Amino acid sequence: MNVLMSLAAILLILMIWIGGKKGIRSFFALFFNFGVLLLTIIFMTNPNFNPIIITLIACVVISYINIFYINAVNTTTTTAFFSSIITIVVLLFFIDIVTNNAMIQGFGEEETEELSIFSLYIGVDFVKIGASVIIMSTIGAITDTAVAISSPMREMFKHNPTISKKELFTFGLSIGKDILGTSANTLFFAFFGGYMALLIWFKDLSYSVGEIVNSKIFSAEIITIFCAGIGVGLIIPITSWISAFFLVQTKEKDKTRLHDKKS
Amino acid sequence: MNSLVNKFKEMGYKQITLYSIIAFCFVASIFWVNHNYSFYERPIAKVIEIHLEDTTEVTDMYQNKDHLFTQSLIAELKNGQEQGQRIHLTNQYSSSKAYDQEYHVGDELFISIDTNTKDESKLTGTIEDVKRDKYVLIVAWIFIFTLLFVGKKQGLFSIISLVVNAILLSYALDVYLNTSGIGLLFISSISIILFTVISLLLSNGFNEKTYAAIIATLLGTFISLLITYLVMLFTSEKGLRYEEMQFITSPYRIVFMAGLFVGALGAVMDVAITMSSSIFGLYEKNNNITVKALKASGLEIGKDIMGTMTNILFFAYISGSIPMLILYLKNASPLAFTLSINLSLELARALAGGIGIVLTIPTGLYTTIFFINRKRATK
Repeated sequence: MNVLMSLAAILLILMIWIGGKKGIRSFFALFFNFGVLLLTIIFMTNPNFNPIIITLIACVVISYINIFYINAVNTTTTTAFFSSIITIVVLLFFIDIVTNNAMIQGFGEEETEELSIFSLYIGVDFVKIGASVIIMSTIGAITDTAVAISSPMREMFKHNPTISKKELFTFGLSIGKDILGTSANTLFFAFFGGYMALLIWFKDLSYSVGEIVNSKIFSAEIITIFCAGIGVGLIIPITSWISAFFLVQTKEKDKTRLHDKKS
Repeated sequence: MNSLVNKFKEMGYKQITLYSIIAFCFVASIFWVNHNYSFYERPIAKVIEIHLEDTTEVTDMYQNKDHLFTQSLIAELKNGQEQGQRIHLTNQYSSSKAYDQEYHVGDELFISIDTNTKDESKLTGTIEDVKRDKYVLIVAWIFIFTLLFVGKKQGLFSIISLVVNAILLSYALDVYLNTSGIGLLFISSISIILFTVISLLLSNGFNEKTYAAIIATLLGTFISLLITYLVMLFTSEKGLRYEEMQFITSPYRIVFMAGLFVGALGAVMDVAITMSSSIFGLYEKNNNITVKALKASGLEIGKDIMGTMTNILFFAYISGSIPMLILYLKNASPLAFTLSINLSLELARALAGGIGIVLTIPTGLYTTIFFINRKRATK
């Protein structure tokens, strides 16, 4: 048996043991996401398509899987879905500006050795692909935070139907504040772990601080970490606002409908 | 009433001082990063004129079409003995820009100055790299402002925890590289304990919820480390392709394992604190709640977070390989080969992290219940 198969089998068994049906769904969501990611990459190899547009479509599909497939379709998940999409679009604009200026796309000089056998003139826009890498590494955290805020907001609204839009928004923000620390932490450590080899490399070859900060690979990694943090921060007010708006709005609509019926 | 007003004023002053300190740091650092040329030993030049000399269309052996451009640049030196002088540079870039850059007026570049030029009146040089520090700094400030604006105090704490953990990691690696005989796995284990204690205490304070989360995190992490290690042992690491692991100067297997556990730690901590604070919350609402009810609710919460947490790790790990996968595919590598060579380690990381996350649900549940039972006994 191969390592990946064994690990996947253990993960599947554990997920079923803990989560039952939901566990199976969570496991398959991982596979669907992997499929979407592969398709995205294959589409990106076509130079006639704009990688940013492909990324946006992929993000919509991934958010759909993460939010609607793992959970269920209801008002909570719908608001979480729309908030994720809005955040991703805003973040993508920002990241596009950053990658255009900071020139962090593609490969760094530390990687030249293994690149020497490849043709690098492949006609695909690596600046835009760089932007899509950053957004894709954050999307899991964005959808997670969106669901984590919108579902307690709905509970709050259920128990206090008279709550105002503003109070509901503040409630969402206060939940978001508690999640912000742990979500950001999750991403930080995921990236730290991934860059362990790179950090050892820099230290082993005694790079100076100036060389590290300005090198393409390091600045690309650290900018990814910061953009991920910005994404997790942005989703909080956006979800709170959209959830508050939708929840109070639908109630008012129901009220007018009742009113109409009565008259 | 008066004291309330005073309190408000006091808080206001405190906040105003804090804000002005932050604003001062922001302005000072931005100013510094734009004028720090003399801190660098490598010559820096700022591009002031650009001419596009030549455009050619190229087709590589796999029928990929690209354009090659040649730019000639005139730049002004910003540091060193030749400060203020103009230098002539040439740059070639492609429209895909995988390993090259297009430069614009105003870009700052690290260069090397050619020493033995025949024409003394004209300085020439080669471009080595781009000065990226100011972009890193600006994005860092936007990150800090977003976290402070949204999270206020919690935002500040998560920034502090990020900085402390980064320094700790850097120090741990220094210790590893400077002392022979201490294994990286041992150092990582110590660091993992420190990371967990520091991050959880900073974000949740000194209380039983935090202690339960710390124990659950460590148990979850080490049990999944053991499982992964056993799997690697029994399968004799079949299917793991270390040859494409980048930047390797040390034993690659150990670096991979160490990275694996530091990487999953954040997610495991997240699960542990969610479990312990929600179960403690249930207990605080109703002190007489049965252990059975706590277990049932705890499992429900665990089910809800399991899927999304594994997804966070999955995307954070796999996305970084996108450029390399595209490069392989465009160089006519077969899909299966490309995936196995580039993704085996990332997938193993994501799966092992997922195992850690799922295992932390029961460990978190039982440690929290243990702490609650102890609290009940002392009452």
